[in-house]
Amino acid sequence: MQYDIVIIGSGPAGYVTAIRAGQLGLKTAIIEKDKIGGMCLNWGCIPSKSIIESAKFYQKIKKDANSFGVTGIDTKAIGFDWKQTIKRTDGIVRKLGAGINFLFKKNGVELINGTAKIVAEHSILVDNRLIEAKNIIIATGSRQEKVNNSTLDDITVNIWDLFKDRELPENIVVFGQNTVAVELAQFFNLIEKKVTLLVPDSKIMPLADVYVSDYMKNLLQKSGIKIIFDVDADLAQYKYKEGALVSGEINIPCDLFVNSKMRKGIIPESDIALKTENGFITTDEHFTTNFPSIFAIGDVNGKSMYAHIASAEGLHVINHIKGVSETIDIKKFPMNMYTVPEVAQIGLTEAEIKDNGIEYKVSEFSLFSNGKAIIEGENLGFVRMLSDKKYGEVLGVQIVASNATDMIAEAAAFMQVESTIYDVAKTVHAHPTISEVFMEAGLEAVEKEL
Amino acid sequence: MRYIFNFPDIGEGLDEGTIVEWYVAKGQQIKSGDSLVKMETDKVVADIPSPKSGTITAIYGKVGETIHVGNALVEIEIEGVSGAAAVEEAKVTEAVKEEGAGVVGTLEIAGNNAYMPASDEGTSETKEESQKSTKKVLATPVARAMAKELGVNIDLVKGTGPAARVMKEDILLYLQKNTVTSSKSNTVVSDEERVELKPLSQLRRTIARNMIQSKHNAAHMTVFDEVEVSELVRVREKYKSKFLEKQVKLSYLPFVLKATALALKKFKALNAQMDLDNNQMIYKNYYNIGIAVDTEDGLIVPVIKDVDKLSIFQIAQKINEISEKTRKREITMEDMKDGTFTITSFGSIGGQFAVPVINYPQAAILGIGRILKKPVVKDDAVVPGTIMPLSLSVDHRIVDGGETARFVNQIMEYLSDPVSLIMD
Repeated sequence: MQYDIVIIGSGPAGYVTAIRAGQLGLKTAIIEKDKIGGMCLNWGCIPSKSIIESAKFYQKIKKDANSFGVTGIDTKAIGFDWKQTIKRTDGIVRKLGAGINFLFKKNGVELINGTAKIVAEHSILVDNRLIEAKNIIIATGSRQEKVNNSTLDDITVNIWDLFKDRELPENIVVFGQNTVAVELAQFFNLIEKKVTLLVPDSKIMPLADVYVSDYMKNLLQKSGIKIIFDVDADLAQYKYKEGALVSGEINIPCDLFVNSKMRKGIIPESDIALKTENGFITTDEHFTTNFPSIFAIGDVNGKSMYAHIASAEGLHVINHIKGVSETIDIKKFPMNMYTVPEVAQIGLTEAEIKDNGIEYKVSEFSLFSNGKAIIEGENLGFVRMLSDKKYGEVLGVQIVASNATDMIAEAAAFMQVESTIYDVAKTVHAHPTISEVFMEAGLEAVEKEL
Repeated sequence: MRYIFNFPDIGEGLDEGTIVEWYVAKGQQIKSGDSLVKMETDKVVADIPSPKSGTITAIYGKVGETIHVGNALVEIEIEGVSGAAAVEEAKVTEAVKEEGAGVVGTLEIAGNNAYMPASDEGTSETKEESQKSTKKVLATPVARAMAKELGVNIDLVKGTGPAARVMKEDILLYLQKNTVTSSKSNTVVSDEERVELKPLSQLRRTIARNMIQSKHNAAHMTVFDEVEVSELVRVREKYKSKFLEKQVKLSYLPFVLKATALALKKFKALNAQMDLDNNQMIYKNYYNIGIAVDTEDGLIVPVIKDVDKLSIFQIAQKINEISEKTRKREITMEDMKDGTFTITSFGSIGGQFAVPVINYPQAAILGIGRILKKPVVKDDAVVPGTIMPLSLSVDHRIVDGGETARFVNQIMEYLSDPVSLIMD
């Protein structure tokens, strides 16, 4: 065989896996048809977080500069420059992309540019070049489905097209229920566009605990985002007409329609029949497809849409190929949402705990009177801990806080070692920090028991 | 270098013991072989010797505390061994093998590879070993809480987490695998009035294991016979009171022991053991006869050593000692090991014939039934006789039928004419 491992797609599933395989001395190639880093780096996590950071910075200066004692800022004169935001974002993406490329070289991973077609269990064709490998790992990711409403075509922009030098008009409609939709709606709101969020569901952020998604819904509405729930998946009853989406009485001003519909796997062309389900490749607990030599990791297997989970799946596959037997529980990985304030969640939601028939208790501690949060002027949010009554095991944690996405790492560590509320309560946290609320939530859980 | 000595598996298949007495204290110098502690298990009291010379740096457990096999007893500072040498030494398992200890088994000092070298944390191999045997296994808080609640000895659970940490799933899995008894008891709990549930004692578990081992491995064959022992009865009656003056009770058993030992000398296959691993027979030139003793908790088999060299009086004395020790629960490992043949004297309770189960890996076991007056034919006349029923089970792999019959005949000869016991 030419290669031990060939990976299709260089997103966070593919590149992490390739580098690991290279480190372990496996002869590895990675095939990419577009840009290294995939959706996450080029058109997803990284650029979206970058523009959100710019918007937050803008709002912070505008709202808080004076009260924080910064003088010389004419709050009426300051504005938001999309062009510069994109320029900065491009720089970040380039830097990170170069880093991945460097790691490929350092670890002996061969990068092959082109579009892959699986021709047999061990063979891939890339632009007439036949590549043979002991194992094939599909890491092709996912993309939004199209909204099948032709009246919208002219004003529709998909996420991978968003981060470009373009005019950002006044009235923006974001379509979708997932975190990305919420993040983008909020971004446009922060830069003072008129935003409507059309949600093809009864709640936003479907994977979040209902408690969290309700909290965020109220926050978004309060900030001026109009949310319309339970629209149909292709907006059949809406028509775009002269600067508005119209459906009967409803008239939503709209100059730009941002599509963040649910995603479907990007399934590579294949001469052998890969088993799929609902638009994703079917895999077992080790991410093996219906062919034992072919694996599918990341978005394309439909198990999760998070970059870090995709990476973890890839590392699991490499270990599996190397004969290391282990299990992977994606519930123990954090889910981050880069809203304002940020949302992070790990473990089971309250509904899942109920479904499992586990006796549990909830302890919640607000950021409202947390010293550091008040100092920073960002005291919206809470830490909410769900623990089982029998052993006090921490089953799930939800955080809403300005830097929740970093704070969740502590909960991840707690859950990784199956900690109890007693451990949380006994872990001394420095003062003043926002993380102190963790200990408080732990103490509250312990006290509830007493 | 510090060396952690764990409570060894003392053979009985018992997995815990209670500390009766400490012979050493922290700071004390000890030599290899010195007794460290007196431990009591279900039925045995044993002195645990130190496998190393050095200074005691820590002792674990107070008198009266229960220690599980594999858990730390003492830490010994050994001078002059450090680093890689310690690791090397740690790999050496020093097994003190003694034959036929206890009911059946081998005395082995286990777990003494639990070194904690001062430097050179050691190869991963050694580390894993020491993790298993140091006092605290790596486990998550929930796994610990769960194990405690469910009565699982967490030291026995295989951890699947990072660095072999025991996770809650591992506890559940362990329980699943070991629920043959508990799931049964669960189903019976509702039926509480009809049955009584009692956890298996260690001794009972050991007996069960040994019996099955014997039945699995040995090819059992049993011969029955009756021996007329009027003369023996007369001799015993005669000496009974004399022995009593010296505080020794005289039963028929010393005669049977002596007769057996002398017969074994003539039929060496009956005092042998088959060593299949090394493709050889082991014929023993010593005659240590175990006596099956019925106790409230179950059967134990103390051993009387070198029976062939002892007089009837000495044997009687030893038997008296054993029954005294048994009553006081002072039987030790020392008293139970190295048997080469076993006698079970069930007749003292009742029953004439039985098919005794061989005390594996020994070659045979002799059962003595109840001595009864029966009509016997002597010189063509029916006269009253005194009959001792004998049941001899042999491992037919080792002993053939002819030899078995000849061996029984020899014993019968000795017992029917007790004077011959001192004539050989």
